[in-house]
Amino acid sequence: MKTVINEQNRRNFVSQVEAMLHDKLSKCYQCGKCSAGCPVNFEMDYTPNQIIKMTELGMEDKVLNSKTIWLCVSCNTCSTRCPKGFEVTGIMDVLREIAEKKGITSKVEKEVQMFHEVFLDNVKSNGRIFELELVGKYKFKTRHLFRDMFLAPKMLEKGKLKMHGEKISDLNQIAKIFKDFE
Amino acid sequence: MKLAYYPGCSLKGTSFEYEVSLLKILEALNIEIKEIPDWNCCGASAAHSINHNLSIALPARNLAIAEGEGYESVLAPCAACSNRLKTAHHELKSDDILKKKITDSIEMPYNADMEINNMLEFLIKIVGKDKIKSMVKKPLAGLKVASYYGCLLVRPPKVMQFDDPENPVSMDELVGLTGAEAVDYSYKTECCGAINSLSKPDVVMALTGNVLYDIKKHGADLVVVACPLCHSNLDVRQREIERKYSEKIGLPVLFITELLGLSFGIDPKDLAIEGHMVAADRVLKKIGELPK
Repeated sequence: MKTVINEQNRRNFVSQVEAMLHDKLSKCYQCGKCSAGCPVNFEMDYTPNQIIKMTELGMEDKVLNSKTIWLCVSCNTCSTRCPKGFEVTGIMDVLREIAEKKGITSKVEKEVQMFHEVFLDNVKSNGRIFELELVGKYKFKTRHLFRDMFLAPKMLEKGKLKMHGEKISDLNQIAKIFKDFE
Repeated sequence: MKLAYYPGCSLKGTSFEYEVSLLKILEALNIEIKEIPDWNCCGASAAHSINHNLSIALPARNLAIAEGEGYESVLAPCAACSNRLKTAHHELKSDDILKKKITDSIEMPYNADMEINNMLEFLIKIVGKDKIKSMVKKPLAGLKVASYYGCLLVRPPKVMQFDDPENPVSMDELVGLTGAEAVDYSYKTECCGAINSLSKPDVVMALTGNVLYDIKKHGADLVVVACPLCHSNLDVRQREIERKYSEKIGLPVLFITELLGLSFGIDPKDLAIEGHMVAADRVLKKIGELPK
């Protein structure tokens, strides 16, 4: 497997990740504790400790296009148990953010990525989450129109699905926050 | 001390039972909380997953409003909201450059003196176990209850600073106060799959199934939680998990506030217990709230 592509690119990528993470990749000594306790390891293409090493080796394309970064649910089991106190959960956030900023649409886990995007769009337009609208837009985007639909009648009956969302009054402020940071 | 309340989006929607029951028990306990005016979504898992600045700025706006209104303490009953508010608070307190950037954007100062409590912390630290115990009019003797904590209440420990991240006991202690028996089991802090419920339902059902079947194996009558997302996965997806793994579970999932309310002698209807997908009738019969 080709690892180091270009030393300068490797360094740039490592510096970018470390600056966003506020942590050093070299702290990780590959014990594998993070991967052993990861609840979603069975679905991943690379284990969390492999992602850390691959990032250190500059394998930017591979990590940014991995299933792993999108499958991580940020449960923080890895960071809690890491004997070196390395920000394992944090590196997944950083890699997702870099992928997002580079405009990379995940080919392998695009639904997870889309859910995050649709969720933030909903916050941007209402200031709060309007669940029905969020689910509708997500389903429309992913074309999974009927998945989970069998849950809807009973959820409606139980009062769990509100037909109207609440908007906050100072939406301009929310718009400004998004404008500043998007 | 003036107590602010940050409900978060789930408590106004799919987890309305949580809000109904917590307001009811706080009324019984004679504790006043006030909703933060014009609060916004904390950004939940989506913001921190793809945009770090947003994940700090969105909760910061709520904290700054609360601080501006003279509050020193915020109750965030949703585990995800409390996690995001605490994380934002922690980062703003320790990173001046970030703080400048964020306060410039929200156009409000934030001194970062706020105390943020999740539901369990609030009940133990602010209300107090003695007061809760004194309110128990109808002990739930004979009821076996499994407390499910999930991830966000206890992890990451350096930011949450609450209970033990591997073997938390605070909710079990609250269960004990009601007269019910706290059931010990192995999956207390295993993840339910959280936000991926819609995007990776198979993964979520596998993880949630592990939790539910383990609780079942240990003989619990019901599960209590303090997180809307945990509740959604354990309750709403339970029938589907039973079908997928061809094994009955039949475990009602209550919010801890509902269990406390029952022990205070509050009518189950006033606690919105009928709002759950898995009916709690068997539990209500066992404690004499429904005819056997």
